[in-house]
Amino acid sequence: MNVPGASDPAGAPGPPGDDDRAGAVFGALSDPTRRALLAAIAEHPAATATQLASELPISRQAVVKHLNALTDAGLLDRTRAGREVRYQFTPAPLSDAVGWMAEVGAEWDDRLAVLRRQLGSDVHAGPRGA
Amino acid sequence: MTERIERELWLPAPPDAVWEAVIGDGWLADRVSLELKPGGDARFDSDGRVRNGWIEDVAAPERLIFWWACDDEPASRVELKIDEHRAGSRLRVVETRPLEVLDLVGVPLPGVGGSTYGPALVAA
Repeated sequence: MNVPGASDPAGAPGPPGDDDRAGAVFGALSDPTRRALLAAIAEHPAATATQLASELPISRQAVVKHLNALTDAGLLDRTRAGREVRYQFTPAPLSDAVGWMAEVGAEWDDRLAVLRRQLGSDVHAGPRGA
Repeated sequence: MTERIERELWLPAPPDAVWEAVIGDGWLADRVSLELKPGGDARFDSDGRVRNGWIEDVAAPERLIFWWACDDEPASRVELKIDEHRAGSRLRVVETRPLEVLDLVGVPLPGVGGSTYGPALVAA
């Protein structure tokens, strides 16, 4: 599986080890063209490469290359229907991200409220055990 | 794609007092055990939920950066910064999970034993 290294704008040193699949996921989401493709596929489920190429200012050949990277990364499902290959977005990674943000954000809100109560009332007592 | 939570809070207490509260038992977890040096171990126990991790950087009472994770979850990085602000302290919290996407493909994540593995990831 290749990660198109040339399109890695972040210049990230890349994930550790030699896991090419991990590199594919990481690279897939770091590229603006691939993010645009994902968005297009999310809007038009079961899109083909030809349809996607007509929506984006890149060639069909380039679309196919990016679709392969996204599929390798586990972000797309590919189904063959006759001569056509259709792509579906598999949004699990992104919905997981939203869930994480909500959960962890709420945890911090709780913690900060605790701290505000604790230090707001007993500020003049000074640090414990000092 | 990095997931990121940011919070900021002003507290009417000096940075030393905030620091004590932040690293002590009862805040990050019911029981907190921190080996306060880069690469040191960190353990957070709350109600049977244990998070393990390690310290990336520490400078009391200004800065604590650590990684933590439950065994079955991807690790995240927590950055706590405290500075003097308007006759009190400002506490800034940033939690990020830069490796969430890697976890999808079953790459081992820094958690227990992460100290050998983490610093390279921080750079990423």
